[in-house]
Amino acid sequence: MHSKSLVLIALFTAIIVVLGLIPPIMVAFIPVPIHAQSLGVLMAGIVLGARGGALSALLLIVLVAIGLPVLSGGRGGLAVFLSPTAGYLVGYLPTAWATGWLSERVALKAGGGWKTFAGLLAAAVVGVIVTHVFGVAWLITYVGLSPRDALVGDLIFVPGDLIKAGIAAYVGQFVLQNFGSRLRMQ
Amino acid sequence: MRTPTGSILECVPPAVKLAALFSISVLLFLTGSLTLLGSAAGTVLVLCLLFCRFAVLQWLKAWPLLLTIAAVALWTAYNDGYQEALVLLLRLGTLSLVATVVTVTTSIGEFIETVTRAAIPLERLGIANARDIGLAIGLVMRFVPDVRQRYLAVVDAHRARGLPLRPTTLIAPMVIGTLKSADDIADAIDARGIRTNSHPQKRAENA
Amino acid sequence: MQVVFNDVSVTYAGRVVLQPFSLRLTERRIGIIGLNGSGKSTFSKMINGLVLPDTGTVTTNGFDARQQAHEVRARVGYVFQHPANQIVLPLIKDDMALGLKRLRLTRQEEERAVSDVAARLGISHLLERRAHELSGGEVQLAALASVLVGAPEIVIMDEPTNQLDLRNRNMVSRTIRSLPEDIIVITHDLELLSGFERVLLFHEGRIVEDGPAEVVIARYQELVG
Repeated sequence: MHSKSLVLIALFTAIIVVLGLIPPIMVAFIPVPIHAQSLGVLMAGIVLGARGGALSALLLIVLVAIGLPVLSGGRGGLAVFLSPTAGYLVGYLPTAWATGWLSERVALKAGGGWKTFAGLLAAAVVGVIVTHVFGVAWLITYVGLSPRDALVGDLIFVPGDLIKAGIAAYVGQFVLQNFGSRLRMQ
Repeated sequence: MRTPTGSILECVPPAVKLAALFSISVLLFLTGSLTLLGSAAGTVLVLCLLFCRFAVLQWLKAWPLLLTIAAVALWTAYNDGYQEALVLLLRLGTLSLVATVVTVTTSIGEFIETVTRAAIPLERLGIANARDIGLAIGLVMRFVPDVRQRYLAVVDAHRARGLPLRPTTLIAPMVIGTLKSADDIADAIDARGIRTNSHPQKRAENA
Repeated sequence: MQVVFNDVSVTYAGRVVLQPFSLRLTERRIGIIGLNGSGKSTFSKMINGLVLPDTGTVTTNGFDARQQAHEVRARVGYVFQHPANQIVLPLIKDDMALGLKRLRLTRQEEERAVSDVAARLGISHLLERRAHELSGGEVQLAALASVLVGAPEIVIMDEPTNQLDLRNRNMVSRTIRSLPEDIIVITHDLELLSGFERVLLFHEGRIVEDGPAEVVIARYQELVG
């Protein structure tokens, strides 16, 4: 791996951490404040692609494991992996990979504008679904919730995450179009 | 955490502590008996209060985490009754405390060494360079304050120009500004010969 | 120092950044001046192999920058234009020690090398500090320290006094003068070069003047008008 790729991955992890530190964003028509950390994970996939995005998410998971308070609300440490919501955190890895894999194909094919945005949005929505699948699976297997209870509890967070997918696609497209040529992973 | 706890557990190798954490989690999931879980929770709490009080403090400080456990317990109580909720509360509460003990009695340096050693098989497969892990962790810790500063500067610029604080216009400049420094940082890493396996890249700039 | 450019040219994205030239640098203090975009940084990055030429060869103290990049980089230290970006670990002393890893020293030897260099630059009090807490002048010195700790023979500094207040500028200037290492300084701060044995003036990808500081600076003033 070139030093440039290593640095891009680490810098994106730093961006994800900072997005978790900033105050949650209130969106007018949703009752719960949404924090921007998972937004960062989706953007990592869109901007860095499958491999870079997944490594960025993996680096975040490693930072949590070694005890740094890098998650929103200052959470960190091994206890996070034994908490009810650990599935969402671990899901960040496949999320960034899936979003990145799809984005790479979109960015190649679509010629910019609305088509690219729609493609990146679809990639980010798939990413959101992957996160939630991992989150719900953990709630069922580890916490022991029934599938119905787990799903209902999970659904509260879906609208906020879909908005984040939209923001990630918009910002991701902007970054790729203005800066994309300098971000290639080697 | 690098905080010295004065606990004897600091001398135990991280790998042993991680194995113990894993075994305890398996054991707590093997039983659904309230008596067993209750006495396990009590034992852990007493042992922590005796030998690693700092961990208990940190555990209580991590209230966002405890809040998620409480929320899920309430949700379970509502759906499946108090018995189930109590089992869940004892299990997850105990485990999060034990995990906190491992976290506070192990320094970040020790953790990085453990992760690096665990990654050596990956290196043999050609997937990753184990020694890069420590550098990557250091880079994130080094640049989080800078990225945060950049974000705050963008917020200030919005306020100064009377622009509404929209997530899109706040985040894009922060991301681009941060990634722009990647070339410089990578050059510095190469110039200082920090990594032994990197190759020079043909690149010229406009200055 | 002994840096030899042999029929070197650099093109980037279809644009000629440096026209073909040959040159030998042997002085102990060399200054590089010119307008923005004239090829100064590309030129100096070739000396330690960060930029490879499209044609020709660059040899630094006897080692080829392309074939023997590791030997070259061990001998050439580089302090970048934005020194904050070259401090890659949070704690200053950890960052300084990072450049020593390839020497495979013991913990004590590492600590001694770090504290020696810090004392030399008068920044011992910064060792336990974090990079983002430092002022501009302190960052510049910390970056220089992390380069010097690797015991380079040549140190290249890209605009070392840029954005420093007068006190920090004077301190950095004094430090540069006192260094026993061979120095190459790229700068817009022409006063910094007074007494330099040799100064190169770059203009539109060419070296248009080459000589003692006073002569070349006069030519630069004339060129810019």
